Amino acid sequence: MNARIRKSTLLLAMLLPLAAMHAMATTATHPASAASAAEVQRGHYLTLAGDCEACHTAPGGKAYGGGLPVATPIGSIFSTNITPSRIDGIGAYTLQQFSNALRRGVRQDGKHLYPAMPYTAYAQLNDADVRALYAYFMHGVQPVDTRPSRTQLPFPFNIRASMAFWNVMFLDKRPFMPDPAKSAQWNRGAYLARGLTHCSTCHTPRNFLMAEKPSHALAGASLGTWFAPNITPDADSGIGNWSDQEIIDYLQRGSAPGKGQAAGPMAEAIDHSLRHLTEADLAAIAVYLGSIPSRREPKATRAVDTWGRPYADLASIRGKPLPKNPDQMTGPQLYDAYCATCHQDRGQGSFDGGLPPLSHNTATGRRNTDNLVMVILDGIAWRTDGSGVRMPGFAPELSDRQVATLGTYLTQHFGDPAATVTVGQVRMLRAGGPSSNLVLLARIGLAIAIVILIAILVAIVRAWMRRRHRVLPSD
Amino acid sequence: MTTSTSADIVVVGSGICGALAAYRLAQQGLSVLILEAGPRIDRARVVAAFRNSPRKSDWMSPYPFSPWAPQPDYSPKDNGYLIQAGPYRYPAEYIRVVGGTTWHWAAQAWRLVPSDVRIKTLYDVGVDWPMAYDELDAWYQQAEEILGVAGADNTGSPRKHPFPMQPVAEPWSMRRFRERLAPAYPVVANTVARNSRSYDGRPACVGNNSCQPICPVNAQYLGINAVESAEAAGARVVPNAVVYRIEPDAKGRIVAVHYYDPNKKSYRAAGKEFILAANGIESPKLLLLSASDRFPNGIANSSGMVGRNLMDHPSSSLTFYADEEVWLGRGPQSPSSINTMRDGAFRSRHAAYRLDFTNISQVLSVTEALIAEGVYGAEFEKQLRWRAARQVNVKNVLEVLPHPENRITLASEKDALGIPKPEAHYSIDDYTRRGADVSKKDFARIAQMMGGTGLRYSPDGQFANNQHITGTLGMGDDPAKFVTDRFGRTHDHENLFCCGTGVMPTAATMNSTLTAVALALRTADHMHPPSRGKSSSAAGAEPSP
Repeated sequence: MNARIRKSTLLLAMLLPLAAMHAMATTATHPASAASAAEVQRGHYLTLAGDCEACHTAPGGKAYGGGLPVATPIGSIFSTNITPSRIDGIGAYTLQQFSNALRRGVRQDGKHLYPAMPYTAYAQLNDADVRALYAYFMHGVQPVDTRPSRTQLPFPFNIRASMAFWNVMFLDKRPFMPDPAKSAQWNRGAYLARGLTHCSTCHTPRNFLMAEKPSHALAGASLGTWFAPNITPDADSGIGNWSDQEIIDYLQRGSAPGKGQAAGPMAEAIDHSLRHLTEADLAAIAVYLGSIPSRREPKATRAVDTWGRPYADLASIRGKPLPKNPDQMTGPQLYDAYCATCHQDRGQGSFDGGLPPLSHNTATGRRNTDNLVMVILDGIAWRTDGSGVRMPGFAPELSDRQVATLGTYLTQHFGDPAATVTVGQVRMLRAGGPSSNLVLLARIGLAIAIVILIAILVAIVRAWMRRRHRVLPSD
Repeated sequence: MTTSTSADIVVVGSGICGALAAYRLAQQGLSVLILEAGPRIDRARVVAAFRNSPRKSDWMSPYPFSPWAPQPDYSPKDNGYLIQAGPYRYPAEYIRVVGGTTWHWAAQAWRLVPSDVRIKTLYDVGVDWPMAYDELDAWYQQAEEILGVAGADNTGSPRKHPFPMQPVAEPWSMRRFRERLAPAYPVVANTVARNSRSYDGRPACVGNNSCQPICPVNAQYLGINAVESAEAAGARVVPNAVVYRIEPDAKGRIVAVHYYDPNKKSYRAAGKEFILAANGIESPKLLLLSASDRFPNGIANSSGMVGRNLMDHPSSSLTFYADEEVWLGRGPQSPSSINTMRDGAFRSRHAAYRLDFTNISQVLSVTEALIAEGVYGAEFEKQLRWRAARQVNVKNVLEVLPHPENRITLASEKDALGIPKPEAHYSIDDYTRRGADVSKKDFARIAQMMGGTGLRYSPDGQFANNQHITGTLGMGDDPAKFVTDRFGRTHDHENLFCCGTGVMPTAATMNSTLTAVALALRTADHMHPPSRGKSSSAAGAEPSP
């Protein structure tokens, strides 16, 4: 569930070697203006769109009281209390200070936030919406006078100042500028998708400094465990073959029959956030997604959700005893034991699509099978919409070998036959993604960066000397 | 050679009652050891074995048989483990694996009705329970919240707090019974431990209609869920540990139990307190097995009552064709029943009963009948479709009174480890038979109201057994008449407690599991009262929609 945040911590690891001078944020103080009920209400809607609660409310904790520990390879990052408590929350923040945190990643005390907070996306917000959010957090949220545990990361990750340099390079401070050549619906969709709903945080791949690559916007990226797929309009690699209505259904209910269903961090985003948006806003997002540049995977041959067809070979295993060693169970035997109950004998799902078919399903049709493995291990659980466990997770029951056998069986018969699941892949995903030496890398990187900085300084001094040398004779 | 282990609490039996008692005590920080005679099994392999079984209606067939922990099995023929001394056959079934027999229950999780605990006072039959119904409410509620129980409000069992969830959607067949039998018979949702929504990390029922022998998705609470909770709380489970002797000290305190592994190597598990939770047959067997010079009648048996007052719920039934297509088999197997005959002044004359409608798919039984009739080809398909759509069944669940001569004893035959097999002495008295006769009139009326044809009554005097093994360790205040006291402590041994359906002094008319679970939680809380402020409430439920 923390894959989205996890990605941000990778970013953190990469940028720290570029530690630079700490840019002090200047904070103009404005008294909180009296907010109208309508503004507070609009602010509430915007918090849902921004999915603030997902991180700032710990499971079982008070709303926006913070304290959600985000386990990362370098230690836990704790979300902050953003209730209007003056002592422990943001009750003493002025509008400007609130705006700085939201759109610049700078706290009241001038220190930088870790980029677990998606302020690069929120920077798109217009002033009116920032005011509405501020009104909601000041007047619509109950103060919680508890202070979450402090985030204490090891050196060099504890140097928050290093963010300033990265921000100079990668933080676009300009709020969203409507494009008069486009429709109002497109502009609304672009504003939401680039800003509050921060789609790119997961779906856009990042460069070596862990900043989003604008050239590959929404073209798909791994979060370490789950894979956030390509959602550009390419008909095969992206969602170009989805109707606007299918996109809306997906964002409202977590499922687009005949296409796919949300799991992992996307289910979480829909559960907490997207399903609360108005149909008009979801339609606007769909229109915007349909307009962005397409990115195509080099090896794509057909749409990921058009592979496979109902297939049954359960008759082939009837009357044959199960092997004593569970790792020797065959694909159909594993399918019979673990999958057929819900997905039915031919993988056709239920007649009404409530239990999804396995063919014509992005879970089996994608060449990258990480999500297939993840959903077998973790299942799908919704926390707030009442549907709860939509699919049980089998991590406790299935071995790495069994998941590999089963996953490959599923892609062979219901999905892209070229896609496979390996034992090593399952082991790695079960362990939480690729192992990381972030602390070591960061420290080595820091040393290299210092050498580079010195080299640059030397170069600048030399250049300056040369210019002086060139200029002097003409004096 | 003996190998030793020890714990604060040693629980014998890992079924739903023993495991939940263990869970409660482990939550208190006590070290808990659960000894289970049978192996640990995996749900999915049971599912696969069931799908692979040619005997789909034999609910034992997908479960493994372990020579060191034999269990009664009657299909394709009696395996001779539970010796039948008569005069009436008592073909009880149970599963000796980690998690116990609820692996293949239908999750009916009924409370008693208040009169059930006072039938001696009210109707001058049976015995009274050493507690009032109201005393059980809190433990019933906790049991229902752990198991995730839903049911109708009007089944005769009062409650102080609501069920934790709504019942599973009513299948069409049950709706038709309800509509057509009203107002003569109120057909209501059964009280069941089956998720109508995601609850406590388990998904909602998706209607596979194979509750018996296995819920394939974990929508129905099973003993294995209790075992996993106990383990999460710190309890340790040892499978394939066949307890064969309970060891007392000179003062009568229990100091250890002895168990065999499958190779008959012996082990000794010492403890401060002991819970016997090996069901209504294996528990008294073990007490009787533990006879010694000091306790010649066996452990906890100074009264001579261990194994006596064996009860269950016999059923007679009527199968017929309704005059409309109802298509049994969609949704859970046991969704609805009629509860108006669970109590009344008639109980001084004849047995009370519930009327239960099956919702098991009729395709298999109709197919077998048609083949037996020699119907083939196009006519077969036509007949199969017609009958499977219309065939229905109503059965009674009859109360049985406690009689000391109905009992479990040790047989002279021995099992593979050399342990004596249990022997059942059973009969069905006129009180119960009169109840069956009365219910036959209900059967006829129900068939008539459903436009029934092709009526097939079960033969008079023949009863199916319901595997609700009750009695044999009955609770009561008088040490001369009862094995256990009102909290499940054996009268003879202050640190030996019994949990399970065996402690119930009477059988009433409801499936016995929920009451036994409530009593088990109560026993655990009596042994070690939950500390104040420390939550003893049920497993965390997810927020309601």
